[in-house]
Amino acid sequence: MAEVHVIGQIMGATGFSESSLFCKWGVHTGAAWKLLSGIREGQTQVDTPQVGDMAYWSHPIDLHFATKGLQGWPRLHLQVWSQDSFGRCQLAGYGFCHVPSSPGTHRLDCPTWRPLGSWREQLARAFVGGGPQLLHGDAIYSGADRYRLHTAAGGSVHLELGLLLRHFDRYGVEC
Amino acid sequence: MNPKEEKVKIITEEFNENDEDAGVGRQKKSSKIVRQKRKKRFQARAPLRSKPEPPLPALLRRSDPPWLGASPCEANLLKLPTTGLQEMVSENPHLGNQPEPLQEDSDIRPLSMTARRGPRSLPPIPSTSRMGFAEFSMRERMREKLQAARSKAESTLLQEIPTPRPRRLKSPSEKELETEFGTEPGEEVRRTQQEDDSQSQSRVKFHDSVQKIKSKPPVPPGFPSAEEAYNFFTFNFDPEPEESEEKPKAKKRDGTTQEEEEGEEEEPPAQGIHKTDEEELLSAKEAEDLLLGLDHTAEDFVAVRPADYESVHIRLQMEKELLFVPSRLTVPTYKKLPENVQPRFLEDEGLYIGARPDMPRTCQNIMENRLLMQEPGGRWFGDDGGILALPNPIKLFPSRPPVLTQGQDIKAELETLYKKAVKYIHRSQHMIGSGDSPGNFQLDIDISGLIFTHHPCFSREHVLAAKLAQLYDQYLARHQRNKAKFLTDKLQALRNAVQTGLNPAKTPKSLDTTQKTINEYKSEIRQTRKLRDAEQEKDRTLLKAIIKVWKEMKSLREFQRFTNTPLKLVLRKEKVDQKADEEAYEAEIQAEISELLEEHMEEHEQKMEEYRAAYQQWKAWKKAQRAKKKKKKQEVEEHPEEEMEEPYPGEDPVKPVPPEPTDRALMEQQVRERAARSRRRPGEPMLVPELSLAGSVTPNEQCPRVEVLRREDVKRRSIHLKVIFNDKEVSRTDSRPLGADFRVHFGQIFNLQIFNWPESLTLQVYETVGHSGTTLLAEVFLPIPETTIVTGRAPIEEVEFSSNQHVTLDHEGVGSGIPFSFEADGSNQLILMTSGKVANSVAWAIGENGIPLIPPLSQQNIGFRSALKRADAISSIGTSGLTDLKKLAKWAAESKLDPNDPNNAPLMQLISVATSGESYVPDFFRLEQLQQEFNFVSDEELNRSKRFRLLCLRSQEVPEFRNYKQIPAYDREIMEKVFQDYEKRLRDRNVIETKDHIDTHRAIVAKYLQQVRESVINRFLIAKHHFLLSDLVVEEEVPNISILGLSLFKLAEQKRPLRPRRKGRKKVTAQNLSDGDIKVLVNIIRAYDIPVRKPIASKFQQPSRSSRTFSEKHAASPTTHSPTRSADYPLGQVLVRPFVEVSFQRTICHTTTAEGPNPSWNEELELPFRAPNGDYSTTSLQSVKDDVFINIFDEVLCDVLEDDRERGSGIHTRIERHWLGCVKIPFSTIYFQAKIDGTFKIDIPPVLLGYSKERSMIIERGFDSVRSLSEGSYITLFITTEPQLVPGESVREKELVARYVSLIPFLPDTVSFAGICDLWSTSDQFLDLLAGDEEEHAVLLCNYFLSLGKKAWLVMGSAIPEGPTAYVLTREQSHYLIWNPCSGHFYGQFDTFCPLKSVGCLIGPDNIWFNIQRHDSPLRINFDVAKPKLWKSFFSRSLPYPGLSSVQPEELIYQRTDKAAAAELQDRIEKILREKIMDWRPRHLTRWNRYCTSALRHFLPLLERSRGEDVEDDHRGELLKQLGDYRFSGFPLHMPYSELKPLIEAVYSTGVHNIDVPNVEFALAVYIHPYPKNVLSVWIYVASLIRNR
Repeated sequence: MAEVHVIGQIMGATGFSESSLFCKWGVHTGAAWKLLSGIREGQTQVDTPQVGDMAYWSHPIDLHFATKGLQGWPRLHLQVWSQDSFGRCQLAGYGFCHVPSSPGTHRLDCPTWRPLGSWREQLARAFVGGGPQLLHGDAIYSGADRYRLHTAAGGSVHLELGLLLRHFDRYGVEC
Repeated sequence: MNPKEEKVKIITEEFNENDEDAGVGRQKKSSKIVRQKRKKRFQARAPLRSKPEPPLPALLRRSDPPWLGASPCEANLLKLPTTGLQEMVSENPHLGNQPEPLQEDSDIRPLSMTARRGPRSLPPIPSTSRMGFAEFSMRERMREKLQAARSKAESTLLQEIPTPRPRRLKSPSEKELETEFGTEPGEEVRRTQQEDDSQSQSRVKFHDSVQKIKSKPPVPPGFPSAEEAYNFFTFNFDPEPEESEEKPKAKKRDGTTQEEEEGEEEEPPAQGIHKTDEEELLSAKEAEDLLLGLDHTAEDFVAVRPADYESVHIRLQMEKELLFVPSRLTVPTYKKLPENVQPRFLEDEGLYIGARPDMPRTCQNIMENRLLMQEPGGRWFGDDGGILALPNPIKLFPSRPPVLTQGQDIKAELETLYKKAVKYIHRSQHMIGSGDSPGNFQLDIDISGLIFTHHPCFSREHVLAAKLAQLYDQYLARHQRNKAKFLTDKLQALRNAVQTGLNPAKTPKSLDTTQKTINEYKSEIRQTRKLRDAEQEKDRTLLKAIIKVWKEMKSLREFQRFTNTPLKLVLRKEKVDQKADEEAYEAEIQAEISELLEEHMEEHEQKMEEYRAAYQQWKAWKKAQRAKKKKKKQEVEEHPEEEMEEPYPGEDPVKPVPPEPTDRALMEQQVRERAARSRRRPGEPMLVPELSLAGSVTPNEQCPRVEVLRREDVKRRSIHLKVIFNDKEVSRTDSRPLGADFRVHFGQIFNLQIFNWPESLTLQVYETVGHSGTTLLAEVFLPIPETTIVTGRAPIEEVEFSSNQHVTLDHEGVGSGIPFSFEADGSNQLILMTSGKVANSVAWAIGENGIPLIPPLSQQNIGFRSALKRADAISSIGTSGLTDLKKLAKWAAESKLDPNDPNNAPLMQLISVATSGESYVPDFFRLEQLQQEFNFVSDEELNRSKRFRLLCLRSQEVPEFRNYKQIPAYDREIMEKVFQDYEKRLRDRNVIETKDHIDTHRAIVAKYLQQVRESVINRFLIAKHHFLLSDLVVEEEVPNISILGLSLFKLAEQKRPLRPRRKGRKKVTAQNLSDGDIKVLVNIIRAYDIPVRKPIASKFQQPSRSSRTFSEKHAASPTTHSPTRSADYPLGQVLVRPFVEVSFQRTICHTTTAEGPNPSWNEELELPFRAPNGDYSTTSLQSVKDDVFINIFDEVLCDVLEDDRERGSGIHTRIERHWLGCVKIPFSTIYFQAKIDGTFKIDIPPVLLGYSKERSMIIERGFDSVRSLSEGSYITLFITTEPQLVPGESVREKELVARYVSLIPFLPDTVSFAGICDLWSTSDQFLDLLAGDEEEHAVLLCNYFLSLGKKAWLVMGSAIPEGPTAYVLTREQSHYLIWNPCSGHFYGQFDTFCPLKSVGCLIGPDNIWFNIQRHDSPLRINFDVAKPKLWKSFFSRSLPYPGLSSVQPEELIYQRTDKAAAAELQDRIEKILREKIMDWRPRHLTRWNRYCTSALRHFLPLLERSRGEDVEDDHRGELLKQLGDYRFSGFPLHMPYSELKPLIEAVYSTGVHNIDVPNVEFALAVYIHPYPKNVLSVWIYVASLIRNR
């Protein structure tokens, strides 16, 4: 019966080598969680920073959960994409972070990574675009043995999440 | 020793006290010195003695070999230097025994003492003080000299020293001491020897000689060099290292000096010379010491020694003693275990013991031996005698993640894929490569050959041969399986089992389990027997068939006198032992019979049981029945009325019949029959058919012509196959000639490099005859191989095919698809089609690296599988995909899995769960384990939460909760009733509620409408959440040159133009609005032709008739209407005082009162607008159903002064208002039109009691010509919203719902789907639903007109107040009429008050015309569609009318409406309306005038008959006659019936109930006139009456 309200925004991203960026995001929760209202996933606009290197999206996140357990605390998974001058989109990074578990406003920096691929793929990526992508997006947040993946670091996505928790103390959870 | 030591200590202390003086007090008295010396001597001894224990054994051991191994002469030699020592030692007891005399002695005879001990006292000197060498030697010299002098004098005294000293030397107890001290003098001796041989010789001599000589020894050591002193010093303090160094020295010297010494011994020493020599030498030495002291010492420190070497043997010897080398031999077990303990092997006992670490046996042996030696006790050994060890901790595989090489062993979830940067991700379903790894897949198709089972060129014999071959194949297959045998064996085994099971002695199991198993066995026996019988029968029939065919074939060969096939069948007979066979046969039958009997017995038993139970029941029932009857009789007497309730609910049970027992003889007969049918008879030989190709084929020459022709034909034929992959030919085989045996061998393998997922794989069989064309015989569909089938593993499969070809041949060939017969008379015809078998194998190729080139099945599947792997117990042992747990258990048993191995634990558990029968195997899969254990609350509780529910419903945009504001934070604050409506709606979804709708048909329709509406809205909601760019971004257009130019022009514009143009107001997008932001502005300008009051005439005044008639109207002739009346109206009195009341959403505003029938108000009324649920979104606004009611009332002032006397002093009037008419404008029209501006016809009831449409000539005259055509009253209005709202666009949604809409069988009106779409339904649907908007009405009307033979068109345009709408245009003889389909009114083309304001297009039955004229007002356009300049037609010469069929049904079917239902409905409506009116007047008493009501009720049918025309005056007259005493106002309302609510609303809007005159009475009458198809016309007559006094 506890409630978690996540209200915030995906501020933007920095540190990506690509310029025109957008972000696909989604929130994954366990089975004990019930989305009361809000949209679980979305996609931001494409931002091409003119000044500085931060791409601003200021994409609102407004989620309201009811939960009957702590398991499967909501986690945000992000995919940053870049759009090239031909309007083609390619992956720039995967990221994942938990929604904070303490109430208040949180600024999160979510670092991202992307699969590196073979040298041929790297070469192809450098010249013709595209790039290796995960076949299964849930590997971003699931605990599969990711050590087998060879990845390159992407930039980081900045989030600002305000959290309201309710009734957790009723069930002996201190926040 | 202790007393000795004490003494020594004392002495030492004493000495120490004087120690300091030793160096300083050199010039002291001689006595003093002597005493000192003596003391020094003790002191020198002291350090040696002070630590006597430790150095001694060390010395002993170290020096043992050289000293012990010394020759006897050496021993002698040793004795020599030790004499002094012995003296000293011997002195000790002296000292101990007689301390006093010694002390005294020392005092008394100091000289003798020193002389005697001189040599001994010398060495310790250096230890006393650490002085420089020079100083030291100086002192020494002085002392030596002194000593020398004394020694001379005392030599005689020395002789008296007791003799037992030498003896003591030999005593072993003194040995240690001797050696201890002996070493140093020895050394000294050697040193001196080195320096001076003669000296040593003298010493030897001196040693040998008796007393004299003995006194001598102190002399030679009397002058030790500084080095010696130092040596001694060092030796004293650190004896051990010194010793080790000295040992070899001593050895060496021993060797060299031995002889000399011996020799010297014999020589008698000359003492005198010695003395002098010594003195001389001493002095010389002293000098030397003085000069070269340091150099000398350095040499002495360094000694060159040979490499220390011990022989191997010695070392080994020593090592053997020191070291322990464990043996490598195996230790017998008994040694390792405690006594009398047998080794115990845990593994044998079934306990789990992991694999021990791998260790060579010898190593283990060594370890064991060592342990046994070192730590006996065996705690290192386990029960089995082995060394205790943990299981091998080393994994067999490296645990470090392997270096990732390309594409190897990547988990499926982590697989990455190079994706090209693409704009759109499109996916073609058949492509492997679109989303998956680029495919390089290969399918190998091996076509080995083809056999025809029938071919047109088959001769009759061939047909039989093929049949035979087929049967034989079947036989072989059956024979190989030999199922009958297997089943027989099984049966036997089961019988045996039952036999043993029945014998309780043999089976120790509990009784009921055996019973159970026996029962199981028995049922199995039954089944097996049935199966076996069937199998045997099949075998037998097959054999019979083979023999039959073979016989036919033989006869055919004989008949035709040649042979075509080499087939030959041999039947081999296998003899059997007749007797045994018979016995077995009989035994089998008997067994069967007995079993059957038993079975029947059981059955019988069961039936009997049932019977008994049933019988009991029946009996009981009977009894009960009898009792009941009795009881009933009594009851009936008491309560006769209850009898009816009593009848017994169930039907009477039938008396059961006992079952029949079985007959043994009958059964035996049955069994025997069956056996005879299906089994070999006893003694009959077993027949084994053997088919061979041994026969010879008759050569061509001996054949008849037809046969030769056939054979030639066969030779001409050749066959090839095409390989078709996904409907494309990819390759084909070589063409091979057809063999005489109709077999074709290809033996070709095709490797298909595929890119697409294989959908179909087909082989096409082509036959070529001679040089003519090829014909497609048949298609063979090959199955796509499973992914597990790879090349090399695929078996050759035969795929059958057949063709539907019909071939007739002119030779022996039987053809295909045509009947032929084996009989001569042509009976028993057969039709065979070409058929055959293709032997092929299809498999996936294997790549170079052993990976099968198989396209991935589906990514989801793989992901799922690998995800399962983690949780799968089975996969942990490396075998995945095993789903049959029984099999798994079997496998586990076979592979002898160690049940105790922790690795196998999950598997074992799984198996135990699976095999333990009744245990519960969950058939679900739990995603999140332990979730429930940690839940805060249960699901139910979560779902119960009202707050969450409310939030969810709001989020889902459920209509009731859409835009619900401020959901309370606590459940307790949420009222349960919030959900009531919603729940009711959900509940009632399928329940048809007739309460509101009164008649069922309409209720159903309404429900249906509601559902469709809901589903459309739901779909629309989904569609609404998809946004386009334009929905989100409002982009100001970038000014281009033309806009700039225009704006430049604007600069030159006049600031205040003479003809000002209306400028658009700023539009507000309806989002950020809230209640009160939007207002509806209604500007009431003026009205025309308001009915005027009629003076209350006397009852008998004949009312004048209205001059206009329907016929006049119909003709719409512009006849001038000359008012005739008004004369009787009193001048000066106001005809009417109308005011306008606008009500919207129950808010009411009214204007001031104007006067006269053509009042002018010019007032602006402001009405607030509230959107439903406060939702100001576009869709919500579109669906607002509220209407703006504009009611016109007449304000009547009544004089209520009852007393005439008061008239002078006060005015007492009451204001009454009488409803005159209304205009109803839906809000949606205002919303969509943004503004409504125009003159509207006022809806005035046909009868308005107390008013008439009389016009005052004076006022009216001026307008007469203009409004000549007008009829009725009009009002000019301007309505808009403030601020202006942007109407929602409804274009795009059309597309979205268009598809869905096409599925809906009917199309309701726009309010239902406000803003979403406009749906048109056909007329029959419209009629069925009885709901529709203008289009439907117009279409239906138009259709009616057309069917009447009129020229009619549908007019699409916009009208007031409907907005965009459809009207109907008809052509009369010379002019056009415009019909409003909703109201049924019609207007002439040139009628100024025609509501149709613009015409967009005309739709006729065969074409559509678009208005391309300058104007669109019907007044100003030409309706002649033949003129292409004015009307653009849709179908033209370039696009001719294709003759489309109509969507409308051919004819409409009308049902007669049930009049009784209508009457009932009428009553109900009346009742409801009455109740409503009473409800609306909560503070007043509502009285109903029955008399008036009945009068009105009578009158209403008249109105219906005359359609509301021309009845007013008659009616009024009538009423007046009846109700002359009353002043009354009232009116009938007429509307089509849809549902109850609009009726109520209409009555309410008239405001009848608002009259609060105290003694008012009401009258209400309802009349419903039914038309076919449930179309109902409703009349409501409302009147209020006030009694005249």
